Amino acid sequence: MKTTGTRSLVLWILAGGFLVGLALLLYGYVFHGGDWAIQPYNGHLVGGGQLGYAGQVLDRNGVVLAYSQDGERFYNDDQTVRQACLHAVGDTDGFISTGVQTQFRTQLSGYNFFTGLFSPTGEASGHNVTLTLDSNLQKIALEKFNGKRGAAILYNYKSGEILCMVSTPTFDPAAPPSDIDSNPQYEGVYLNRVLSSTYTPGSIFKIVTTAAALDSISGLDTRQFECNGSIIVNNSKITCLSKHGNITMQDGLAKSCNIVFAELAMELGAEKMTDMAQRMGFGQSFEIDGIPTAASFYDVSKANDNELGWSGIGQYTDMVNPCHMVILMGAIANGGTPVIPYYVQSVTGAFGFPFYRGHPSWGSELVDETLAGKLEALLRYNVTSDYGDDMFPGMNVCAKTGTAEVGGGKQPNGWIIGYSANDATPYAFAVVVEEGNYGISSAGRIASALMAAAAG
Amino acid sequence: MLEEVTSHVKIPVLYWENSLGRSRSCDIVLPDPNISRDHAVLMRRESGWIITDTGSKSGTLVNHRKISQPRILKPGDVITMGSTSLALKRAGHTAARAKKQGVARKIPRPSGLLLLVTLSQLLLGVQACLAQNSFSIYGLLPFAFLTLLEWTAFLVSSKGFHRVSFEVETIGFLLSGIGLSLLYTISPQDALVQATAMTAGVVLYFCLISFMNDPDRVMQWRLFIEIGAAVLFAVNLVFGVASHGAQNWISLGPITVQPSEFIKIAFIFAGAATLDKLQTKKNLTEFLIFSGVCIGSLIVMRDFGTACIFFVTFLIIAFMRSGSIRTIFLVCAGAVFGLFIILRFRPYVMDRFAAWGHVWQYADTSGYQQTRTLTYAASGGLFGIGLGDGYLKNVFAASSDLVFGVLWEELGLILSLLVVVAIMLFIFYARSDVTRSRSTFYSISACAAAGMLLFQTCLNIFGPTDILPLTGVTLPFISAGGSSMLAVWGLLAFLKASDERTYAVAG
Repeated sequence: MKTTGTRSLVLWILAGGFLVGLALLLYGYVFHGGDWAIQPYNGHLVGGGQLGYAGQVLDRNGVVLAYSQDGERFYNDDQTVRQACLHAVGDTDGFISTGVQTQFRTQLSGYNFFTGLFSPTGEASGHNVTLTLDSNLQKIALEKFNGKRGAAILYNYKSGEILCMVSTPTFDPAAPPSDIDSNPQYEGVYLNRVLSSTYTPGSIFKIVTTAAALDSISGLDTRQFECNGSIIVNNSKITCLSKHGNITMQDGLAKSCNIVFAELAMELGAEKMTDMAQRMGFGQSFEIDGIPTAASFYDVSKANDNELGWSGIGQYTDMVNPCHMVILMGAIANGGTPVIPYYVQSVTGAFGFPFYRGHPSWGSELVDETLAGKLEALLRYNVTSDYGDDMFPGMNVCAKTGTAEVGGGKQPNGWIIGYSANDATPYAFAVVVEEGNYGISSAGRIASALMAAAAG
Repeated sequence: MLEEVTSHVKIPVLYWENSLGRSRSCDIVLPDPNISRDHAVLMRRESGWIITDTGSKSGTLVNHRKISQPRILKPGDVITMGSTSLALKRAGHTAARAKKQGVARKIPRPSGLLLLVTLSQLLLGVQACLAQNSFSIYGLLPFAFLTLLEWTAFLVSSKGFHRVSFEVETIGFLLSGIGLSLLYTISPQDALVQATAMTAGVVLYFCLISFMNDPDRVMQWRLFIEIGAAVLFAVNLVFGVASHGAQNWISLGPITVQPSEFIKIAFIFAGAATLDKLQTKKNLTEFLIFSGVCIGSLIVMRDFGTACIFFVTFLIIAFMRSGSIRTIFLVCAGAVFGLFIILRFRPYVMDRFAAWGHVWQYADTSGYQQTRTLTYAASGGLFGIGLGDGYLKNVFAASSDLVFGVLWEELGLILSLLVVVAIMLFIFYARSDVTRSRSTFYSISACAAAGMLLFQTCLNIFGPTDILPLTGVTLPFISAGGSSMLAVWGLLAFLKASDERTYAVAG
C-alpha cells in the first residue's frame, strides 16, 4: 500500500498541467478578453461593436466630441472642433491608430473585464470615454496654426492631464475628403504629430547643451564667449544669426547665440553630450495612455568636431518628439522628475459606473534637482530679458524658442517649449510649426494664446 | 499486529493490505535473506485477516503448513517465511485510541452541505424563471427534480446503507445541478434526457459501490468485464453511427448511446487490482493488450479525444501498478511512434487540428467554434450575462463540447472556475484516501477515475479556448449527454469506494 501511495503522486503532474492551462487561459482573458469579445458576430454587441453603436467621447467639460445614433457615428457640431480633436478622438474608419476610437475601441463598445458585456439596463450599450482635453483650447490651437503644419501640446505638469493636443494637417471626420490619399495637402494626415513625429529641434536643444555644460564646466557665470557671426571648424563654417560680440552663456541662451553652444558642445565632447541627452530622455519612448511616443534622437558617435558643434545647437542629425519636449519641461518644472501626461480621464458605463480613471504617474528623473533649478532660472531669464514677459502676462513663464533649419529649400521650423512656474497655472507646453520661420513669432504666438486660454 | 516469535518484537500492521518481504518498498520489511523481495501479502477482509503467498521462492507456512491458497488467519496463528516466524496478535487498545483522536477533526454535517447545494440550485432555478426577460414558473422544474433526487439519495445513503459521509455525492450533485440548470434553458427536451440519465447514474453509482464491496469478487469478474468491453467496442465498430467525424454512437431503437463512455468504467476495472494480484502478476501484459484494443478502436472510430483520455488513464494506472518510469517512457515512445505512423499514412487527420493556435485566422471555418467560445466567454465577464441570455448556445455542440464557454458566458468566470476546480479537488480526495483505502484496488481505481475526470476536463475547457487542439469531449457533470452523465457517476463510485468509511457499518 505504501508504494501505491507514493506512486499516486503522479496525479500532481496532471494537476500541475491543469493549473498551467488554467493560468494560460486566465492570462489570455485578462490581456486579450476585449479583443475576444469585440467581434462583428457577437450578438451581445448591438451592431457588432462598430463605432456606429459605440459610446460617446467627451471633453473635460462634457462637450460631446463624438457620439452614435442609429448605427452612425457623429461628431461635434463645430467643424473646427472636429478637425482640432481629430487625432485625439480618431476617425470612424480607424485610420488614425492613436485615437481613442481605436485605442479604447473595446471600452467604447461596452466591454470591461469585470462584467464582460453584461449591462444592467438589459441592452449592452457602449461606455463613454471622457478626455482631459479642452475642446476650446483645441479650437484655439487649430485656428492659430492657420493652415500651417505642426504640433501643439499643453499639459498640467502636476496632474498629468493633457489640456490640448493638436496635430495638423487634419481633416473633418464627419466628411473625410475624397482626395485624402492623393492630395499632397493631406500627406501624413493620419499621424498624430505630437506623439508619433520627430522634428529637428534647432535652438531648443541648447537646453541640453546648457545642462551638460552646467554639469561639468565650472565658472560659466562669468565666462565670456566671443561671437563674430561665425567660426570655422574642420574647414567648414558654423554660423550665428547675428554678431553678438562678447557674451555670457546666460545671454547666449536668451539671444540664442549659436557660437556659444557650438563651442560648448565641442568642449564637452561627444561622450558628455550623449550622456546628458540620454539622461534627459533622448532615445526613450514614453507611454501616453498605452501609446508609445516616437523617441527623440541624438547620435554624435560618427560626428567630427564641426558636426558636434552643430549638434549642440540642435542641428546635425538631432531629432526631437514634441511630447518628449513637454515632458522635459514638466520635469524641470517639477524639480527634475516629470509626471507622465495622459488624455483619457475616465471610462464610464451605465449609471455612470467608472471602469477606468486616468491618474498621474511619475516618470523617471530626467534632470537632477539642482540642475533643474539652474535651468529654470536660465529659462526664466530668456522670457524676461528677450522674449518679453507680456507674451504670458503674470504667469512666470520659463521657455526656450527655436528656429530649426531643415534644408531642402524649406523655411525653418519654429519651436517654443516652456512652462509656467506659478502654482495656479501649472502648465507646460511644446509647440512646433513647420516652416513657421522664427520660433517666437510662429510657435510663440500659439503658445501665448493657449496659455492665456488655459489660465482662463 | 504481528509479533516476531523469538524476539517478541512487535510489528504494527498499518494498512488494509500489506506487502511482506525483504524489499525496502514493502509495507512490512523483513530483513531475512531467505525471504523473497515481495514474499506475501497480508490483507484484511470481511472474513478476517488473510495471508497470500505471492510467488515466493521458499513459500509461506501457516502453523508450519505450507499454503497454496489464500488462508484466513486466526489470532495466534504463526506465519513462517524463510527463517522468520510471525504471530498474529490483536492490536492493543492504546494504539486504537490514538488513531481515533487523530481523525477527531470537526467536519461539517453532510446534510448541512447538501442543504447549501440545494439552496444554490434554488437560486439557479429562480434565475432560470427570469431568463430571456419573461417570467416562467417552469424554470423551477430542474430545482424540483434535483431536490427530490439528491435528498432521496441522501436518505438511501445515510439510512439505507448507514454511510456517514456524503461529500463525493454532494459535489456530484452540485456540479450536475449546474449542468442541468444550464441545459434546461438551452433545451428542455435535452434536460429531460439529462435528468433521466442522472437518475440512472445515481442508481448505477450505488450498484457499483455495492458490487465493489468485495474486491476479490471484482478480481474474478475482471476478465468478463474486459471481454464485455471489447465486444461493446466491436459492436460499436460494426453498427456504429458516424456523428460529426467520429463514429462513436450506436442506436438502440429510440435511444442512442456512446459505448466508449461505459468502457471508461470497464477500463478502470481492468486496470486496478488488489495488492496480492499486483504482486503475483507483475507485468502489465494483459492490461496493455486491453488498453491497446480500447485505444485502437477509438482511433479507428476517429474519436481522438476519448483515445487521449484512455491513454492518460492508462499511464496513471500503469505507473501506479508498476512504478516503473522506464515502462512509462517506453509506452510514451511507442505512442509517439504510433502517432507518427498515423500522420504519415493519414495526413488528413492533421487538418482537424490545423486551426490550433491560429483560430482567429480561421474564424469562420475551422476556428468557428473556438472563436465563438472565446468571444462569448469574454462577453460573460466574471459574473455572467445571465442564465438563458447567452448566444453561444446557438453554436453547434455548444451544450456538450463548448459547454465551458456557455457556462462562462451565462454564469460567469468565477462559477466556471469553481466547477473545474471542484473537479480538480477529486484528485485531492483520491490522493488523501490512497493509503487508507481497503485495498490497492480502491486506491488505484480512485486515482485513475479522478485523473480521468480531470484530464477530460482539461480537454474540454482548453480545446475550445485554443490552448489545446479542439477534440470534442464532454465536460464531466456539466455537458449534455446521457451516456456521459451515466459514466461520470459510475466513475464517482470509484472515489466513494476508496473511502474506508463507505463500507464501515455505523455503530
